[in-house]
Amino acid sequence: MVDTGLATERAVRAWRRILERSPAIGLLPILLILLFIFFGLYEPKFWRGANLINVLRNSSYLMIISAGQMLVLVIGGFDLSVGAVVALTSVAAGLVMADLYAAWPDAASLAIVIGLVVGLAVGSAIGVINGVTVAFLRVSPFMVTLGTMSIAFGLALYVTRGVPVYGLPDEFTREFGRLRWFNVPVVVYLTAGIIGVLWWVMNWTRLGRYVYAIGGNIHASRVSGIPTIAYIVITYTMCSFLAAVTGVLLTARVGSGEATLGTTLMLESIAAAVIGGVSLRGGVGRVEFVALGALFLALVTNGMNLLRVDSKIQTIVIGAVLIIAVGLDQMKIKGRGQ
Amino acid sequence: MTALTPPEALGRRPLKALVQFVVLYGALPIIIALMYLGFGLIEPAFHSGENAINILKQSSYLAILAAGQLFALLTRGFDLSVGQLISLVSVAGGLVMLDVLEGSPGAVALAVFAGIAVGLGAGLATGVVNGVCVAVFRINPFVVTLGMLGICMGFATTLSDGFPVFNLPEGLTNTLSRADVIGIPVPVIAALLVLGTAYVILNHSVLGRSMYVIGSNPRAAHTAGLRSRLHLASAYVICSVFVAVGALLLTARTGSGEPNLGGGLMLQSIAAAVIGGVSLRGGEGKVIHAVYGALFVTVLSVGMNLIRVDGTIQQIILGIVVVAAVYLDQLRTRFR
Amino acid sequence: MSETHRDDRAAGAGQDELLLAMAGITKRFPGVVALDDVDFDVRRGEVHVLFGENGAGKSTLINIVAGTYPQDDGTMTFDGRRITHLTPHQSRLAGISPVFQEFSLAPDLTVEENLFLGREQARWGVLRKGAMRTRAREVLHDLGFDLRPGARVGQLMRAQQQMTEIAKALLQDLKLFILDEPTASLTERETNRLFALIERLKGEGVGIIYVSHRINEIRRVGDRVTVLRDGKKIGTVQASNVEETKLVEMMTGRRIDALFPDIAAMAGDAMLDVRNLSTVDGRLSDVSFEVRAGEIVGVAGLVGCGKSELARAVFGLDKFSVGELDVLGERVAHPTPTGMLKRGVCYFPSDRVAEGLALSRPVRENASVAALDLADFTRWRFIRRRQERTAIKRIVEELRVRPPQIERSVDHLSGGNRQKVMLARGLTRDIRVFLFDEPTVGIDVGAKTEVYQFLGELTKRGAAVLLISSELPEVVNLAHRVYVMHEGRIVNHLEGNEITEEAVLASFFGTGADAPSAGAAAG
Repeated sequence: MVDTGLATERAVRAWRRILERSPAIGLLPILLILLFIFFGLYEPKFWRGANLINVLRNSSYLMIISAGQMLVLVIGGFDLSVGAVVALTSVAAGLVMADLYAAWPDAASLAIVIGLVVGLAVGSAIGVINGVTVAFLRVSPFMVTLGTMSIAFGLALYVTRGVPVYGLPDEFTREFGRLRWFNVPVVVYLTAGIIGVLWWVMNWTRLGRYVYAIGGNIHASRVSGIPTIAYIVITYTMCSFLAAVTGVLLTARVGSGEATLGTTLMLESIAAAVIGGVSLRGGVGRVEFVALGALFLALVTNGMNLLRVDSKIQTIVIGAVLIIAVGLDQMKIKGRGQ
Repeated sequence: MTALTPPEALGRRPLKALVQFVVLYGALPIIIALMYLGFGLIEPAFHSGENAINILKQSSYLAILAAGQLFALLTRGFDLSVGQLISLVSVAGGLVMLDVLEGSPGAVALAVFAGIAVGLGAGLATGVVNGVCVAVFRINPFVVTLGMLGICMGFATTLSDGFPVFNLPEGLTNTLSRADVIGIPVPVIAALLVLGTAYVILNHSVLGRSMYVIGSNPRAAHTAGLRSRLHLASAYVICSVFVAVGALLLTARTGSGEPNLGGGLMLQSIAAAVIGGVSLRGGEGKVIHAVYGALFVTVLSVGMNLIRVDGTIQQIILGIVVVAAVYLDQLRTRFR
Repeated sequence: MSETHRDDRAAGAGQDELLLAMAGITKRFPGVVALDDVDFDVRRGEVHVLFGENGAGKSTLINIVAGTYPQDDGTMTFDGRRITHLTPHQSRLAGISPVFQEFSLAPDLTVEENLFLGREQARWGVLRKGAMRTRAREVLHDLGFDLRPGARVGQLMRAQQQMTEIAKALLQDLKLFILDEPTASLTERETNRLFALIERLKGEGVGIIYVSHRINEIRRVGDRVTVLRDGKKIGTVQASNVEETKLVEMMTGRRIDALFPDIAAMAGDAMLDVRNLSTVDGRLSDVSFEVRAGEIVGVAGLVGCGKSELARAVFGLDKFSVGELDVLGERVAHPTPTGMLKRGVCYFPSDRVAEGLALSRPVRENASVAALDLADFTRWRFIRRRQERTAIKRIVEELRVRPPQIERSVDHLSGGNRQKVMLARGLTRDIRVFLFDEPTVGIDVGAKTEVYQFLGELTKRGAAVLLISSELPEVVNLAHRVYVMHEGRIVNHLEGNEITEEAVLASFFGTGADAPSAGAAAG
């Protein structure tokens, strides 16, 4: 109305224009590059190949589990149980492998395969329970997955009595934990493959299309004849399956089945997805940006480690970064909404 | 409910009364009573007066936290930072008490007061940041309080270096945990005060009225001329201050400032509120619901402890019970 | 489309022509009987208009046909088969394609993706995007709709979303096409295109249910008209030879002059004076108007012309970029809802569910919510509950809210009673300027007259009333002065005897435009 009002308004508009012109999610890639340059200038070790590979490997686990979380968020849900699924998978796979390996030391690969199958199946089963309870009984996903989280952690602790499961076949840790191709850990290739497949699924298949549709407007989807219940169950199952994969890979990395393995992953996976632009209201989210979100978190952690920032202070920084990243994104949505 | 023919209706009258009670007050009071009786049948010690007081005392901590969470839930949000805030308050309060005692040994009362003041201050500050981010910057409460969770955890562990703060003044534990007034333990009294405050705010103040409207329909709150941003932010401030009170009582109980004190309490506080009958969709929930939820969780866990159910099994049972309770509550709203 | 069931022909040619037959349909919702023993049928190649006021049961009827919810009583036969337990999906598979006012579109998907939603072309679950894009282009081109297949639906204008919805309905094997007030957001050109499309579908033997409350449209496209009122079927008439007054009488149940009270103008001082107002979002530009004490000022125009934004900007809900606003002679630089209420201005939104009421809260709280800063209701920011109860009880009785229970939550009330709860806000404090946005949308005839009488009462007491409405008769019969809006500007101002439907309509498409034929005009 008055000049100052116009000036501020102009400034706001200019700011919004910058945000709007930035591609799709906008700030994240730019932020990643800036961080990359900043850490490198401050601590040249950061740019070394070995360190970068390390960052990639550390972010791989988070990428897989966050991609699963993204699926559930996009369909309009929520999964608090992913961390517990990691723990349960780790324990289940670990116990089966260790027992079979102890019984038949020669058949290590058979033990590994059966252990993997059992672990992945147990983990996915949690997803089926989540999906069925959310879709059929229409209980809030928050509460359902809170419950299954408690159940899965409880089971994992009960089975192991809190003691890590040792005695896994060496081949397992070697193949899945430490193996490198062209000096890059095999986990990184696997993650790239999973993200690629999910990208394809979300963009080129009926499943992906329906996940977006259901998250955007479940009523419209139902009316259009999409079997929404089935797709919700499938999505929760996929999420738990991916969490189970993460559980198996982490087990291979630490070399034992542990009931405390996934404790921080639930919050981190949601943080990575949200930083990657996934809407908590459903319908919006792209797997490639979620991967970037996970990479971002890993990069920040790694950089701070190299800068010798106290690990306790790191949690403060990550918390603040999360709020600010989403706050900026919020400004962008407002700018577009006009 | 289908219409019943008269003779049938006569026979089913008690059932009908029961259904009506459940529709009105929820199934929870009955379930809590049945659980209390049931555990007593298995283990007679459960019915001792001592244990009754113990249950009351144990549930007061959770009731305070759930009452805090109630404010966030009412306004369509929730507060994930609750657990880590407890740790932060515990550590910060504890350290301040030690510092004051170091400066002037013997000034126990001063030390305790300073610790309490700093603890409440930490809660207030956290609540203000949460509230401003949610209400003014319009950032999703999940994200805000998730970020705040990290921040509180970081501060708590940094301040304490990850170790418990020992050697807190005996006076703290004596007054805030062990003492009683005419037989009622101090934590129970504190809980009654907090719950009473919450009740007055929600039922008798403009602020509380506004929170219900915001939770039920935020846009309607704005068109009705309510100062919805201020009121929304206040919900988070109240939540954090209540949590700080709970944290100080918990610190007094353990007798040390603990960086891991709050670990599982975030989820427990939400679970208690929601089991008690607070809606996750906002706009619906009463103080009594927080009490129901806290009593339910406490009776269940004290009972299971007494009949020696394994801790991990307890966790599994709690998980199942949470889902079942929410599902039943949903059935109740459909009935209405 | 022509594969009729020859086997059923024994019943006679008349039976064969019947595509849909509904008999004795009854539907109850908590607190209301939405449909009461209604018979309805549609022949092949016919446009059967469902006519009635908002809340008459039109939407309920088409929702039953579309399978959104089942009827409580009555039978339904479609295409020669008795139909029970219909789901939305089954109804679509059977060839019933509804276009509701509330769209069934996923906002985050593109136009093309929405067109194929639920029946994507795919091989082994893998989408054939190329084939679908080609087909989407064809369909849109064929319909003459100006839509980009790659545009995200959530970012489209309402009219474009409407076109997407229509295109989506046409993409499938179509036997019965349901249109629910399709022209509400369309321009005249788009409306003409839609009517051409309807003609074409009729030629192909498609049956069409056309829901509307606009008389001009009915004459133009309808074959038969069924009038509903308060959930009951009043009668079915031929569209070609029915008198307009007759239809209105059937619709309202009374003569039109009895519906609207005679409200004397006693224009006093200017209570609200707006000069050269434009909003930040550009939906209003350079708007000037005033409302004086003791008069009703009407605002008319097409959907999206900016008439709602007028009230919203004044009340501080939409930001304005330039302009001056005087309330009771005082300049208001930054209007906010809180501040405007303090100055005695109250806004009654058109969408009471989305913006007006906290549905899960009781009547009492919803009625008193706008007055919680007054000493009548609060002391030191604490609520004086007894005073509140007595005051609200009195107001609720004065407004004849049914049932008169102030502790009942608002979601149990009918549309008319919900509106009365909103109106109660105007009586809880000293409101001098009333901004009504579509005050009678979604309420029955009885409540409508009560609202009109309420407006009369207000003016008698010397209040200033701004009446924004899409119901032309309302504006024409109640307002003492009328502003007509077009594309965010006020294009005409009418006073006294100048106010006729023709004169108002003539300005709907901007100044100087010839009186438009039917189309988007309100009945």
